Amino acid sequence: MDAPALDTDASKLAAPPRTNAQVRTLLTFAIPIAIVAVLPLLPFINNYVIAATVRALIFITLGQAWNVVAGIGGLLSLGHGVFLGIGCYTTGILFNRYGIPPWIGVWGGALLSLLFALVMGTMTLRMRGIFFALATVAMSLALVQLSRHYVDLTGGADGLALRFFGDSLWALQSRTPTPFLYGALAVVILYYALTRLILRSRFGLEMMAVRDDEVAAAAAGVAVFRTKLLGFVVSAIMTSMAGGLYMQYYMAIDPEAAFGLSQAIQLQLPALLGGIGTAWGPIIGGAIMVFLSEVTNWGAAKVAIEGVDILVYGIMLLVVVLRAPKGIVGLLSRQFSGRTR
Amino acid sequence: MAGLEATLLLALQAVFSGILVGSVYGVLSIGLSLAFGVMRIVNFAHGELVMYGMFAGVIASTAFGIEPLLILPLSFLLTALVGMAQYQIVFRHFVGHATLNQLLAAIGCALVLQMVAQLIFGPDARTATSMFSGQYVVIGSFFLSKAQIVAFVIAVLATLAVEVLLRGTAWGKSVRAVADDLEAAEVVGINSATINVLAFALACGLAGMAGTVLVTYFPTSPSTGFMLMPIIIIATTIGGLGSISGTFLGGIFCGVIQQLTAMLWNPALQDVFLYILLMLFIAYRPTGFFGVRSE
Repeated sequence: MDAPALDTDASKLAAPPRTNAQVRTLLTFAIPIAIVAVLPLLPFINNYVIAATVRALIFITLGQAWNVVAGIGGLLSLGHGVFLGIGCYTTGILFNRYGIPPWIGVWGGALLSLLFALVMGTMTLRMRGIFFALATVAMSLALVQLSRHYVDLTGGADGLALRFFGDSLWALQSRTPTPFLYGALAVVILYYALTRLILRSRFGLEMMAVRDDEVAAAAAGVAVFRTKLLGFVVSAIMTSMAGGLYMQYYMAIDPEAAFGLSQAIQLQLPALLGGIGTAWGPIIGGAIMVFLSEVTNWGAAKVAIEGVDILVYGIMLLVVVLRAPKGIVGLLSRQFSGRTR
Repeated sequence: MAGLEATLLLALQAVFSGILVGSVYGVLSIGLSLAFGVMRIVNFAHGELVMYGMFAGVIASTAFGIEPLLILPLSFLLTALVGMAQYQIVFRHFVGHATLNQLLAAIGCALVLQMVAQLIFGPDARTATSMFSGQYVVIGSFFLSKAQIVAFVIAVLATLAVEVLLRGTAWGKSVRAVADDLEAAEVVGINSATINVLAFALACGLAGMAGTVLVTYFPTSPSTGFMLMPIIIIATTIGGLGSISGTFLGGIFCGVIQQLTAMLWNPALQDVFLYILLMLFIAYRPTGFFGVRSE
């Protein structure tokens, strides 16, 4: 019985495993990217399908950003809508009022998010996680009220609509969703690479050490508070820049869609469904989330009931947390004995 | 001078109605505080149970023509049962530490409960009429709503009853024992599983009962529960997570600050000061005024 086992081991050693792995990795990346990239050229693909794909890609970028603070850092940020909203509103206001194009304006949003994250983090990250969570919720609800009130700046409860210039590269606007498909795809790839980089870096390892055991990490010489704060700031900036993308695509934002709790939940679901703390998780989860919500909304429109997608989100949240806390990537890697990350 | 006098009168009026409104915020919140104190569970679905209590009042008054305040025991019982189910299905798995997964599970519960309410009752705002609705008592130059005065009395009585239950009875002592040290409590023969489920049911029942009181002067819709969560969280944190009387006083404090902001500055921004206060408390005094130190 022993001999064949030894044999296979020997054959594995003989084969060059490196190239195999490299080819497989290349395919894992190339196939999804290629499918999304040629989507507009395929027959039977209309703007509806492309729009749904863009929506999925945007929520993937938001999920990737949240994943850094919650998945890798283990910090319970429930109010990440704060940074989505800051990204949307800053980009929009700078464009509408001062004609500053979004590809510059988005950096303004990033800067403002950085300041917000620094202040919020400094005040709350020294406390236990639950207080940080409550503070993020409070901050997002305060911003809902403030953005409703300062009508001159934000457009109030009706929201803020971008001035429309038709197809314009300068204003990053388009009549069709196809250009956004490529833009969002580029951001997803960038954020994926960034997540991989963080996971492999010293900073990522320190964040995970703090997540798993704060006391042990501190004993090993990790600057706990500084690591947490940096993770929060990085995630805030990523969320805010994804918010700029959101604003360009949807052309409008209102206080609930920006800072509301249900939006905050939507931007957490991709990472949670797919697998929190992994680089692939938000991508898989975002695709599934948008697919399911399109299906249920279509079904609900047939029977004319509102809000079924929210019910589905709630059930998804419960099922994931109770049955598969590591998400789909976790389930898969249990199946194939851990070679995903 | 007249301007100053008018402002002072307005401020006093704000303080009085703040105390009345705040006492109900307090009772809304003590369930959350209790669940945290005993099980370290932060139940984001707490507001949803308040909302179910409010709808119980609406149905009693519109469908059966019964005074909502008479069904308080019934709405306590019904929401306590919902709470028990919630505990058995979800929170049982998270007793002992408020983790990310626990918070997310609670949010999941909140979404499901809210949407179920929307499927049953529809999305519109509804009101209940009590025998005290829309009546005012005039004392000097102050106007106070009768329904709010009755709600204040009920709120004080309910808080006292919970304190007596927890401090004066054998059952209450075992609840506090489980809260202090679960393993030691089990060693001396307390069944922590039963204690936990009953404490959670009590927390949820209080939420539902407070909701029925609230609906005598405040309309409800399926999203009201989510809308009330911030004020519940703030009252609990400022008063002190885990302390019953502290949370009640925290609620009154919130009510006063809210009414002062609304009357002297701007009603649309009535909660902004509270959010800022919450941040300051978290940064400098996370145990609130009366909270228990906990880890």
